[in-house]
Amino acid sequence: MSFFGLHYRLESKAIGLTLGIIVVASIGGLVEIAPLFTIHQTVEDAPDMRLYTPLELAGRNIYIREGCYACHSQMIRTLRDEVDRYGPYSLAVESKYDHPMLWGSKRTGPDLARVGEKYSDQWHVAHLNNPRDVVPVSVMPAYGWLLMTELRIDDLGLHLKAQRAVGVPYTEEMIANAALDAYAQSNPDSSLADGVTKRYGKATTMRAFDGRPSYLTEMDALVAYLQVLGRLTDAAHKSVAQAGAGQ
Amino acid sequence: MIVEHALLVGISKSFGLFYLIALSVAVVIYAMWPSNKKRFDDAAQSIFRDEAGPWR
Amino acid sequence: MIAQLTLIERQYAIMISAAVAVCGALMILVGRDDAMGIHGALVFLAGILTIFRIGESYFAPAPSDERLAHYYDDPSKVAIVLAMIWAVVGLAVGDWVAWQLVEPDLTFGVAWSSFGRLRPVHTTSVIFGFGGNALIATSLYVLQRTSRARLPDQVSPWFVVYGYNLFCLLAVTGYMMGITQSKEYAEPEWYTDLWLVVVWVVYFLVYLRPLARRKEPHIYVSNWYYMAFILVVAILHIVNNLAVPVSLGHAKSYSAFSGVQDAMTQWWYGHNAVAFFLTAGFLGMMYYFLPMRAGRPIFSYRMSIISFWGITFFYMWAGSHHLHYTALPQWVQTLGMTFSLMLLIPSWASAGNVLLTLNGAWDKVRDDATLRFMMVAGVFYGLTTLEGSFMAIRSVNSLSHYTDWTIGHVHAGALGWVAMITFGSIYATVPWLWKREQMYSPKLVEAHFWLALAGTVIYVFAMWNSGIVQGLMWRTYNESGTLAFSFIDTLVAMHPYYIARAVGGLLFLIGGCVGAYNIWMTIKVPSAVTDLAADVPQPAVVGSGALRAAE
Ligand code: HEM
Ligand code: HEM
Repeated sequence: MSFFGLHYRLESKAIGLTLGIIVVASIGGLVEIAPLFTIHQTVEDAPDMRLYTPLELAGRNIYIREGCYACHSQMIRTLRDEVDRYGPYSLAVESKYDHPMLWGSKRTGPDLARVGEKYSDQWHVAHLNNPRDVVPVSVMPAYGWLLMTELRIDDLGLHLKAQRAVGVPYTEEMIANAALDAYAQSNPDSSLADGVTKRYGKATTMRAFDGRPSYLTEMDALVAYLQVLGRLTDAAHKSVAQAGAGQ
Repeated sequence: MIVEHALLVGISKSFGLFYLIALSVAVVIYAMWPSNKKRFDDAAQSIFRDEAGPWR
Repeated sequence: MIAQLTLIERQYAIMISAAVAVCGALMILVGRDDAMGIHGALVFLAGILTIFRIGESYFAPAPSDERLAHYYDDPSKVAIVLAMIWAVVGLAVGDWVAWQLVEPDLTFGVAWSSFGRLRPVHTTSVIFGFGGNALIATSLYVLQRTSRARLPDQVSPWFVVYGYNLFCLLAVTGYMMGITQSKEYAEPEWYTDLWLVVVWVVYFLVYLRPLARRKEPHIYVSNWYYMAFILVVAILHIVNNLAVPVSLGHAKSYSAFSGVQDAMTQWWYGHNAVAFFLTAGFLGMMYYFLPMRAGRPIFSYRMSIISFWGITFFYMWAGSHHLHYTALPQWVQTLGMTFSLMLLIPSWASAGNVLLTLNGAWDKVRDDATLRFMMVAGVFYGLTTLEGSFMAIRSVNSLSHYTDWTIGHVHAGALGWVAMITFGSIYATVPWLWKREQMYSPKLVEAHFWLALAGTVIYVFAMWNSGIVQGLMWRTYNESGTLAFSFIDTLVAMHPYYIARAVGGLLFLIGGCVGAYNIWMTIKVPSAVTDLAADVPQPAVVGSGALRAAE
């Protein structure tokens, strides 16, 4: 039976090592991350914060699919040159509905956190179609097929539902109308357009983003997303104004 | 509710540094404890101990 | 391979493969309107092919009990071959994307080959494909030798190796189809993540059982590092990938975290993927193969222990140095910076251990390219960690963040440390595993070494220059107080450096191909000497073999 005693001791040591590693390694992450989940108590809220429309959300998913985040950040740091180049520095609230966040870690191209409405829709379409038509020395890939690919909208309701499950306050009505709203946003003359502004707010951009109201393409979605970047709330502009007044 | 966040942050900051120091000291003591020396020297040599295969 | 399995093990293997095939069929069914269906077909095929492969030899005679007197190394052998395949693929894609930044139309106008989709193919292939397979191969090898215990059974290690490679394959093909979560180094979608959890739990059990049955009283330090790698990667993976899928039939999911919380969780993951995937596991490798190859014990075993616990607890706090000057609260940034600076101590303890172990054996380093791979890895490890701690200082990071300096740092670590220690360890293990006196061609090992070193140095210097130039240009003001350079100005300034980097990468890639060829030939060409039957590597014999050949 002494054999069993030995066996037990050795085994418990391997388990001890296991537990030791788990305990020592977990504490750091826990202690650092836990307070972030109460952070909303201290960060100023943005009552005017809008939700992504279904079309913008679809555009965001294309942005993710194509890996745009690999070259473009969406996080303006609190440094003078960044604020001068890209606009007011990014606030925590601005990405509170971003599941996941797309802050990025590399700027092969410029930051996009406030690119919304900086350029025209036509510029974006031309640029995405072939960047070198508008910026001759650009190294960005051409995304020509976006103009030719129809956007899948039949499952957008499911997307909103999943978003709601992780905490984005989409309503039943928004979920039920997701597909139609996506269509209507890029077709401002259609009878459905009113519903979009009713559900997502007057500030929602209603345009035929790729210039063709009757086709709903992936280009529409991506440009709609780019045009809303930095424009879901005014909080950042306000906080800069406040800081200025305080000095 | 503000207090709760401040408390968590306070714990993180103070505990973080306390933990850093305490664990560092503990590990250095363990590694440097004189009576452990033989075990460690033996362990360093153990990979050379030539046996033709698994013991069982 | 199959002939080594007992009948009951063959049956288990068939059942597991059948379960995989069923999962694949289900994925095809529910995911038929989505890219997930294609992955279902891949999974199904993987299951079916494995069944056929086992079926072929199902009636082969059962192995004799003699097998139990030897370590079970077949899974390690296969994983080493797979590691080299992933290395060549991953390096080639890396160089391809490097050339895309020189000549953007190298995408040829198709969706799957654009930079944004190929970049994660590169990172996943090299980190998880090459690095991961090398870690699995060497960890199982080292585990058995240092515990003097055989793997618990002959099916579970195969499940780990093939299951893990299925994970890598799903990940990489997914990106090209646009399936990605966008979280760096955690891009695979929810079902691929779940699969990795299953594989990883089995890996952990395979690792734990021989340790528990070991003969040596002390657990050799390499196993500590491998264990930390397995455990912490599991924790990181599960937490960071928490997500809600759009539906069971959609590949797409939405992360449970958003905004700041997500940023902190992601970089807690990201930094510790560096710490426990790219560092801890490879340190485990180093602490076994370096002493074995050099034929002398590690300089200070105590230092290896201090550095182990240091790494295990400091790294966990350091993730926030990826988020300096962002919307993350400043106190978290400061904690991250503090711990990053402290990290230098355990890191240099390991780097120092490498050099001090070799101190007095420099003649061996001079003559043996394999040992030189390991030495250079130690030097680059010291360099990268020094650089990392420096970049973690907020004011330095304000310049380096978002620029190629980060890319330079990454590849100093990835090429100089991770790849070099891996190539060194593989060159050491291959002759031991296949019972050869030495590698097929020691001259080619030598050539690989110089190609790798030249490639790394060119790459890293190009990116340091490019990054610092870029960072400085972004923040330069002219006299009137406006920004001096447009973004495009900085892009033009990068061009020559991008060419240099791509050339350096090409050298490194050629080196990798030379290595793969050499390993393949070592396996294929039978050994002249037949009495190298012992399971345990004999450092003196192998060392002198390499020496003789190098002369
Ligand atoms: C032939 C050699 C290699 C070449 C030419 C190469 C090239 C590249 C390029 C062009 C990028 C994208 C950089 C950017 O976005 O600006 C990159 C990223 C990356 N590579 Fe490599 N690579 C090579 C080898 C490796 C190896 C061996 C590893 C790891 C073991 C590795 C790990 C990474 C990682 C982690 C990133 C992401 C960096 C970040 O996000 O900051 N690479 N590589
Ligand atoms: C003491 C050790 C180290 C410290 C303190 C450290 C610190 C850092 C810092 C400050 C960054 C830049 C973050 C940013 O500005 O975005 C970084 C990035 C990175 N480091 Fe290290 N580093 C260390 C060692 C290593 C090693 C050994 C490797 C091995 C390959 C490595 C791989 C990486 C990678 C892959 C990234 C890029 C992450 C990304 O942005 O995608 N680091 N590290």
